[in-house]
Amino acid sequence: MPLETLERPTLRRDRRKRALRKVPAYLFVVAGALVMIVPFLAAFSSSLKSYEQYIQVPPVWIPDPAHWENYLEVWQRAPFNLYLMNSVIVAVASVAGCLLTSSMVGHALARMVLPWRNVLLTTAVGTMMLPTVISIVPSFILFKSFGWLDTLLPLIVPYWLATPFGIFLMRQAFLAIPKDFEEAATLDGANPWQVFWRVHLPLVKPSLATLGVFTFMATWGAILEPTIYLVSPENYTLPIGVQSLQGQFAGDEQLVTAAALMSLVPILIVFLLAQRYFVQGAANAGIKG
Amino acid sequence: MAITMNKQAAELPAGASDPPARTPGKRRRRRGMGWGVLFASPYLVHLLLLTLWPLLASLVFAFTSYDMVNPPQWVGLANFERLAGDPMFWRTLGNTAYFAVLFVPLQTGLALLLATALNQKLRGMAFLRGAYFIPVISSWVVVAFVADAIFNSRFGVANTVLQSLGLPRQDWLQDPALVIPTLVAVAVWKGVGYMAVLFLAGLQAIPEEQYEAAKLDGANAFHRFRYVTLPWISGTTFLVLILTVIQTLQSFDQVFVMTDGGPNGASELTVLYLYRQGFEYFQMGYASAIAWVLLAIIMLLTLIQFRLQKRWVHYAA
Repeated sequence: MPLETLERPTLRRDRRKRALRKVPAYLFVVAGALVMIVPFLAAFSSSLKSYEQYIQVPPVWIPDPAHWENYLEVWQRAPFNLYLMNSVIVAVASVAGCLLTSSMVGHALARMVLPWRNVLLTTAVGTMMLPTVISIVPSFILFKSFGWLDTLLPLIVPYWLATPFGIFLMRQAFLAIPKDFEEAATLDGANPWQVFWRVHLPLVKPSLATLGVFTFMATWGAILEPTIYLVSPENYTLPIGVQSLQGQFAGDEQLVTAAALMSLVPILIVFLLAQRYFVQGAANAGIKG
Repeated sequence: MAITMNKQAAELPAGASDPPARTPGKRRRRRGMGWGVLFASPYLVHLLLLTLWPLLASLVFAFTSYDMVNPPQWVGLANFERLAGDPMFWRTLGNTAYFAVLFVPLQTGLALLLATALNQKLRGMAFLRGAYFIPVISSWVVVAFVADAIFNSRFGVANTVLQSLGLPRQDWLQDPALVIPTLVAVAVWKGVGYMAVLFLAGLQAIPEEQYEAAKLDGANAFHRFRYVTLPWISGTTFLVLILTVIQTLQSFDQVFVMTDGGPNGASELTVLYLYRQGFEYFQMGYASAIAWVLLAIIMLLTLIQFRLQKRWVHYAA
């Protein structure tokens, strides 16, 4: 742009005009952000109330006095730590399995000799659109025949068999690596596993992080599968555990609200640490499907 | 579409055992192939156990009566005949369609609007975007409690606001007429941030010159949106629509947690009904028939959308 031909005042006025034009967008985004956050604040306020204040009409914004001990009480009266442990086991094991197997399959599709490679790739992309509703009943029957009911295995093992989204994401990442690395390593006597594990995998860390946070999010919030497969309360994951507290704590709903908000904390921490990978994953899903 | 591809994939393991190679070059290729198949093996097992088996098994179960205790009994088309005459099933389809008709355009439109605003390179954008992602990462159980703070018919914030405006209080999730619109509002609140980021990626791919050229031609902001932005992101919009429709017709978590289909079946969605038939009444045959009918509907809608895309989706040459 021929900036030097413009006089300074014009430039400044132009800049101010451009800034002014952003005001409606700003207002819209800020108002929307408030709509996103305020309900959480309302729930947080509720979780600090006594039951009398919890059901008070009109609702009070600042609980008086604030019952911080609600959070301790729900921890003591409910097997919250068991739910938390189960959720952590499921999430960590699923993420580990999904990262390992999806990147193996993605690597095979991007960088290795493989019969029916394109058919496999189209199948993986096509099944991303295949409704999961079809597999609810047969998967239940399958895992029941394995004797896996009321264990965490049906929630974890599917992620150890690579997910279509993961395969696709990792294939794209491996495709972008130049051939030189592989050739140099092979000349040094590396076998295909070593090329994958030592040479290529360290180069696709951002994609691994993206896949990791998405898998974590999916397993952390899952409701249908734990509801179907888990029977005993000591095997519950956080979402269905917290939900089961509802009947148990009738007349003490402020405690269940506290439990629900506590179940949000781990995923919130993961999100704050890895926000850009969440955004990247969403963007990836949009560009390529 | 995906089904035919799965049939082809069924023959995959056969492809892995090609006739023995004779030339040294071929032999080396074959050894490399062994590694390839080994690396791909998790997905081959996945295809077998988590794709092919469910498709075939649920199709067979749909023609049987199966209670998980006694072996399945062939009943022919009985499940489908029962479905055709099951008023509750039709009602769940109606509820699901109503939910989708409200939800899909609302979320897609708001997400696009939000993405356009976020694309203005605002200061504090990372923080603002973060706010929109908190509902996205929350499980539906968390959302249920957060929504209750707002839409509880007795002590929720929404009724307090209505009252202070001099408007009548509402029963929200307990009102058969309001339950689905309320659920849709909450679902849009939860999902719009994710969809906006999808659109944002599409918007950022639009070359700046396109807008400059439109400005030189005297196009105002609305015209630029209509004739530059919309055509350029129609590919993203198409994808978002396909994914949203598929997801919406299968929604389960939200109604399971927030209403359990109530009040009086007013928010009973088809997958919740399927779950009930299968896992509360142990009618796996009937549940499988529901699954196949729903699968057929989803496939049909996806196919129609793919057909219609030629009319409105522009792909940059």
